[in-house]
Amino acid sequence: MLAVVMVLQQASVRLILPAETMPVVIGFEGSANKIGVGIIRDGEVLSNPRRTYITPPGQGFLPGETAKHHRGVILTVLQEALDEAGLKAADIDCVAYTKGPGMGAPLVTVAIVARTVAQLWGKPLLGVNHCIGHIEMGRLITNAQNPTVLYVSGGNTQVIAYSERRYRIFGETIDIAVGNCLDRLARVIKISNDPSPGYNIEQMAKKGNKYIELPYTVKGMDVSFSGILSYIEDAAHKLLSTGQCTPEDLCFSLQETLFAMLVEITERAMAHCGSQEVLIVGGVGCNLRLQEMMGVMCKERGARLFATDERFCIDNGVMIAQAGWEMFRSGHVTELSDSWITQRYRTDEVEVTWRD
Amino acid sequence: MPLSIRSLTKHVNMAACKTENGSERKLEFFLKVPFPSEREATIALQSLSPDPEPRKGGITKNLDLSGQTLSVRWTADEARILRVSVSSFLDHLSLVMETMDAFGPPVSQ
Repeated sequence: MLAVVMVLQQASVRLILPAETMPVVIGFEGSANKIGVGIIRDGEVLSNPRRTYITPPGQGFLPGETAKHHRGVILTVLQEALDEAGLKAADIDCVAYTKGPGMGAPLVTVAIVARTVAQLWGKPLLGVNHCIGHIEMGRLITNAQNPTVLYVSGGNTQVIAYSERRYRIFGETIDIAVGNCLDRLARVIKISNDPSPGYNIEQMAKKGNKYIELPYTVKGMDVSFSGILSYIEDAAHKLLSTGQCTPEDLCFSLQETLFAMLVEITERAMAHCGSQEVLIVGGVGCNLRLQEMMGVMCKERGARLFATDERFCIDNGVMIAQAGWEMFRSGHVTELSDSWITQRYRTDEVEVTWRD
Repeated sequence: MPLSIRSLTKHVNMAACKTENGSERKLEFFLKVPFPSEREATIALQSLSPDPEPRKGGITKNLDLSGQTLSVRWTADEARILRVSVSSFLDHLSLVMETMDAFGPPVSQ
């Protein structure tokens, strides 16, 4: 008995294929401290389990330890992904994994498993750009048509817009990522990394009420955060020890400054592109204050704001599967000999053959 | 029959020696890993060979396949660098084997 699936999209009826013929893609993600395996079939998330390597307060995560964490759980998470989706290995049509960018050791650990299962199951392999994974998942979940994308995480800060077969970087950080800046403040004031330092900063910021003036370092289309970080690390020690402000005030002030900068460069890119949509992706995109501030700017411009929740903002396997699916259906495959991971991988290096 | 790093190390041949190469002393390390089938040895080779060594200088690593045996040959200038690379490779190798145990055997081609 064939199961026919119909998807209604904006009043037009989209295809009509028996469920069995739609490709099922599994995606592996582990470029930072999250290890996730996700399965998707024609835009439907079948499973998306994930584990996070959480370090004690005051400590960041190092590549070797992170890789060891991922190595310890990846096969369990893979089995979970299959079980939650109710699928067997034979049901998978292709295997996607993060080729880069990210931390070397964790990327290798995950790639090794992806290569091995692809060969065991006799399925094609797809090396995915992590940033494009975020973008494609954001597009799928929100149905934004052609947004200006703000990609903000612990490892990346970019403003991206699609044009002629490339996700072009209109603006970016010239030093550290915005999430990195937040994470490092969290280390200085020793707040918990569970569930993530950024989440805890967000909660504390809600209780802050003193605005401490920080450097504001937008550089044209780009941003810089390392100066703000040095400044606030220094200020934290001085102001906290003399009781001139609370840690909550620091969290509040940092968020307001960083997010205002991000809103500014997003708006600048929108003006260049004549764009009426903003899509925020990446772990920092979960932050409701950032969404709120971006929303104010969008409203002023008559633009729409799109964001996803923590299932898809934060690194996860299914975003890699989704990008992998787009690549696969437009004819990409990654040969095993080309499946090496890379710590640096620019978003605009990939030819986006699946869009016009 | 499940593979495990412990059962394989009974059969693995390792050899390390110092050779003089002109005025340099190079350390060499050989590893031979037998697999139950040529297919599985090939899978291991193709999973373990694509990534470059993290450290560009001071070490070379070559993987080769001969029937059911994966062989690996390192040359390094310093013992410390050699140890790190070999240790890392053995971790990755055991990950491949655990993956094969859990999600194999390979489908027929």
